[in-house]
Amino acid sequence: MPNDSQIRIGIDTGGTFTDVVAFDEASGTMVTTKTPSTPSDPAEGFLAGVAKVLDILGEDGSALSAISHGTTVATNQLLEGKVDRLGFITNEGYESVLEIARQSVPDGYGNSYFWVKPDRIVPRELVKGVAGRIDHNGAEIRPFDEEGARNVARWFRDQGITTLGICLLHAYANPAHEERLREIVAEEHPEAVVSVSSEVLREYREYERSMTTLVDAAVKPKLSRYINNIKRRLDEFTAEEGSVPFYVMKSNGGVLSADEVVHQPITTVLSGPAAGALGAALIGKIAGFDRILTCDGGGTSTDVSVVIDGEPTLTTEGSVGVYPSKIPMIDVVTVGAGGGSIAWLSAEGTLKVGPHSAGADPGPVCYAKGGNDVTITDAHVVLGRIPPHLLGGEIPLDVDGARTALEELSGKLGMSLEECAAGVLEISAWNQANALRQVTVKRGLDVRDFALTTFGGSGSLLLCRLMDILDIGTVVVPLNPGNLSAFGLLTVDVKNDYVQTQVSLHEKLDIAGTGQLFDELTERAAAALELEGFAPEDHQFVRTADLRYFGQAFEVRVSVDDGPFDEAAAEAVAERFHDEHRALYGYDFRGNGEQQVEWVNLRVSGPEVRSEPVQENPEVVEASRRAVCFEPATGYVDTPVYWRPDLAPGAQVTGPAIIEEFGSTVPLHPGFVARVDAYRNIIVTREGADS
Amino acid sequence: MTSLSTEQSSVDAGATTSRRAPTQFPFGSLTADGGASADPVLVEIVQGSLAAVEMEVETAIARTSRSPMIRDAHDFRAGIHDRKLRKLTGRSYSALVHPIARDFPLEEMVPGDVFFHNDVYESEGGIGHLPDLCVTVPVFHLNPETGKQEVVAFVQAFGHHDDIGGAVPGSMPSNATSVYEEGLAVPPIKLWDAGVPVRSALRIMTRNSRTPEALAADLDAECSACLMGAQRLGELFDRYGRDAVESAFDAIIDNTTRTYRREILSKIPVGTWVWEDYAEHDGVEDPKLHTQRITLTRTPEDDPEGERLILDFAGTSPQAKGPINHCGDYSDGVFLKKWLAPILRNLADTPERMAELDVNEGIVPLIEMRFPPKGTLLTPEFPAPTNARTFVILRLLGVLAGVIAKAVDGRMPADQETIRYTGVYGEDMEGRPYLMREVLGGGAGGRYYADGEDTIHVVPDSRNLPTEFTESRFPFIVEKLGLAKDSGGAGQFRGGLGYEKHIRMLKDANFMSIADRSILACWGVKGGKAGSPFQVVVNPGTPEEREIDALADAEPIKAGETIRIRTTGGGGWGDPLDRDPEMVVRDVLWDKVSEQKALEDYGVVLTGSVATDDLGHDAEATKRERERIRAERAEEPFFDRGPGYAALSGGNFAAEVDWA
Repeated sequence: MPNDSQIRIGIDTGGTFTDVVAFDEASGTMVTTKTPSTPSDPAEGFLAGVAKVLDILGEDGSALSAISHGTTVATNQLLEGKVDRLGFITNEGYESVLEIARQSVPDGYGNSYFWVKPDRIVPRELVKGVAGRIDHNGAEIRPFDEEGARNVARWFRDQGITTLGICLLHAYANPAHEERLREIVAEEHPEAVVSVSSEVLREYREYERSMTTLVDAAVKPKLSRYINNIKRRLDEFTAEEGSVPFYVMKSNGGVLSADEVVHQPITTVLSGPAAGALGAALIGKIAGFDRILTCDGGGTSTDVSVVIDGEPTLTTEGSVGVYPSKIPMIDVVTVGAGGGSIAWLSAEGTLKVGPHSAGADPGPVCYAKGGNDVTITDAHVVLGRIPPHLLGGEIPLDVDGARTALEELSGKLGMSLEECAAGVLEISAWNQANALRQVTVKRGLDVRDFALTTFGGSGSLLLCRLMDILDIGTVVVPLNPGNLSAFGLLTVDVKNDYVQTQVSLHEKLDIAGTGQLFDELTERAAAALELEGFAPEDHQFVRTADLRYFGQAFEVRVSVDDGPFDEAAAEAVAERFHDEHRALYGYDFRGNGEQQVEWVNLRVSGPEVRSEPVQENPEVVEASRRAVCFEPATGYVDTPVYWRPDLAPGAQVTGPAIIEEFGSTVPLHPGFVARVDAYRNIIVTREGADS
Repeated sequence: MTSLSTEQSSVDAGATTSRRAPTQFPFGSLTADGGASADPVLVEIVQGSLAAVEMEVETAIARTSRSPMIRDAHDFRAGIHDRKLRKLTGRSYSALVHPIARDFPLEEMVPGDVFFHNDVYESEGGIGHLPDLCVTVPVFHLNPETGKQEVVAFVQAFGHHDDIGGAVPGSMPSNATSVYEEGLAVPPIKLWDAGVPVRSALRIMTRNSRTPEALAADLDAECSACLMGAQRLGELFDRYGRDAVESAFDAIIDNTTRTYRREILSKIPVGTWVWEDYAEHDGVEDPKLHTQRITLTRTPEDDPEGERLILDFAGTSPQAKGPINHCGDYSDGVFLKKWLAPILRNLADTPERMAELDVNEGIVPLIEMRFPPKGTLLTPEFPAPTNARTFVILRLLGVLAGVIAKAVDGRMPADQETIRYTGVYGEDMEGRPYLMREVLGGGAGGRYYADGEDTIHVVPDSRNLPTEFTESRFPFIVEKLGLAKDSGGAGQFRGGLGYEKHIRMLKDANFMSIADRSILACWGVKGGKAGSPFQVVVNPGTPEEREIDALADAEPIKAGETIRIRTTGGGGWGDPLDRDPEMVVRDVLWDKVSEQKALEDYGVVLTGSVATDDLGHDAEATKRERERIRAERAEEPFFDRGPGYAALSGGNFAAEVDWA
């Protein structure tokens, strides 16, 4: 690797935009940009983003030192239900496991009379049973039917089914039959792409494990093509093949090298929201809050999650689209309340907002692209709470069109225009607030004990209302709130964390080699700190490792003691892993010779990002003024507008005010105060409250 | 009324013995204009908040309670009611606040009070059996004029607890003949008094339970969750003021009334129809027809008492000796109205719209209930036992679906029976006692727009037990967990399939089962055929094969024996000869219908075979076969109850009410 490779890049591919954040270790500069996403071939947008950000920095591909990526390729495939024909092999007697599922009918009592079950991920005729049986201790009750398995493999080959999922009973306890089945499939049907349950999810419950395995199989071909395509084309940027480490974020907030992740694509399905939550977690920690709620507002929906002590909370009860997935993922609750959410009248004549969205096309009425439905964005622009243009002035908005549409809606409701617009926003704020309550209550937490971070294009627009509704004292709006997911990708493994994927069974761990890798990571972190101006005596490093049980697709992060890395240190890490695993999932395999511990990632974290000196009452310059309506009863008030990059650390603004930046706006209602902290976060509190 | 048809007047004559159940809490609104002037924004905010609070209360209970029936089977519900005792939320059924308000005037309640009851006969019909323990917490708001805290709403929750005493563990003796065998009955009491727990009351309850710690923990979970919910609702009143919130409550309820009038009532023509269905045994007497009958009258718009549905239960059988009775004739039947109303949703235009419709108190003014005199299955006299009343009130859902089907030319779902308990118990390999009890679902009935679904359950979120879980805990192997082929009633839209589960015991054990529909089947409608009944067979297909009764407390099973459980298939909808032959071919390919039944029931002449990957059908031969069957078959009743009906009815193959 050339010595001048110092540019680290985080890329988050979203539905509309691909967000890029680059950090130059040498200079400490951080650059953010956006490029349009390219849904037909997401790799195009990815590479355009890399090129654009390198161009801004005036560097070329040789300067790249690492790229980490949050991808929605797997997610979108599942959400759109675009799953190719799959085959499923299970135990004889269990061929209907997908139809039976868990017998539960969604939602209300009595829905069993009219519920129509969605099509199964594999139609019944493509499910084949094979004889042979393992019990819950892993003992063989009946031998595996090799001949039957061979016939099944040939049948799928003859049918032209090239993607297969395999799930046999109790394979989590003993995968011997599954492994033999895979060998036979490899012999008889070599071109088949296969996912095996004991590798995807080593947990009991046959239906959930079957589904998770099949979802993994379903996204495997497409995700592999996507990742390999990017890897190949990244080489075009660099002199040397494979010289830039390429990481992909997983749904649980961990990262894994691209080479590894193609073998377990299901672990990436929620990598985008995970990156946002992680970015928010880091920002919150830096700003001094150990309990954070995240509110990531986009065009169609808002994602909320809970972060405690810098760690986003996980769930294993998640689902993507209609497909349940038992893979641990950051617990994100999504509500249909985004900038494009539509306001409409129900059959009963009541006002509803969302979950339908005008999306990006035709978009809100004010986009003047043919949209006729009033959206959240239209209400904001009519009330003056967002500027009458998008992205710092690049795209003007049709305010009159939005007003006309809102007048029609308010007329039907017998309300004034302002009451109607404010009402639409109030309903949307309550929808978000109820989701925030739900994520806390289900963990037995009180929403009032948290600080809120708002980000994403629309996440901050209603923050004062959320503070009021939820009785929350503080909101943190990070710098570049539109790019927080990409920032999250950068922070996790690049900016402060130096990570190395090294997969090895615990008992075969190369102690000396691992110690050396930790030392190298520490040296890299130290070098970066020195460039940032930290004296060597101020350096503090935290070493961690991600471990898992062999065959699991998810890792648990545990700390590694300071000092020389020896046998005792390695043993301590394994012990901690058993403890943490039990704490997280309710069980561990300590002392079970069948369940081996595996090391996956080594990590060294340096101190937090650089702060700036906070000035005493720095000058605050108004960029402009405009009429804004915060309360319909008060009407429009002449309100100062500030340009966020102009606000230096220490600056303070009192509502009513509007703070704008590229891609995001903070309307500050009367009675609220915003100050800029040493990291250029905006901290919003109530006027007169201690902060 | 002169405009009524003769059929209607004859029903009116028959209804003279029926009566409305008196109530001291008639339906009424909180505001003078019934919410007409409510702020539309606030209505949406209040409605969203009510749903969120209800979900939060249920989430909190699920997280902290201990009983498996609550934690795993999700047998618990929360509800929010206004000070007129009207249910404001609509995802599920709930108990009633009426018994609390009856015994404790609202003016005398103070913050920190928590009320409790489980006494079926003192519950105004809101509690069906004693293990359902109900906690009620009033919500207060400060009246600025009087300076007093006044009750403005209630948060209530009930859950099915492990054990509240009585003759058997679990407090559900299937052969009980009085409530005294069913456990401790607690009339409305204060469980907390102005914030102070009433220890003596809790101690009496835990002392009477076989699982005192779990009972205490569950009650604690319910109380804390309801108090949290009450706090949240109180904040809503503080924020917006009582008048504005109560106006929104009225609007929420009135919206439901208007929606049901527009989208549901409008689908039923003016007139009167009668239908009945049956439970087959009560746990005490030999199987017989325990009739539940509904006479449905849909009144015209200009009826002096308003446009509504009258449900008259005259003709319902005398109360059973065993525990299948349900106390329905209290407080104007409001519990049963809300219990049955979800069935009405099937009249909405699409399945998506059906799922959107809530059932809150707004349906109450649209339904009038008339009950026969005391002493029937629905009007039992104290101390008749009630612990298995599920079989009667679940059947009642189907009776209502059936009588409406007669009114709307069959555009209602065919029958489903999706609740029964099966299990094995004994000592495990290490000699420790165990009980494996599972609530297994069944097939749903066919609909005019889709086949019935396989193996589903009427209670949301109630789940089956994975093989990988049960085999690790209990001494048996589940050799098969599949669908019972041919169990779904034939029809243009086929009934869903029931389970076929094979359990091979590794150690001697006892098998238990509490199930109805083992003789009678889930009915088909409008030409659709009945599904297959529930059946348990030991060692099927061997010389030692034997069938076990559907009501079995302790059937001995030897190690090595296999128990085959087949649960009910749903009834079919429409004439099976009208089913798309391609769908029949698919059903054979999917192992849901046998080749034999494809020909016999559907008249589909198959070609090729599944084994040779070339299964298809001969269109011409199928057409001829269908014509032959049509020509030969006799006139058929509107409902098909399956062959079991003749066994209990003295040889009749259909009831008089089964003809259109």
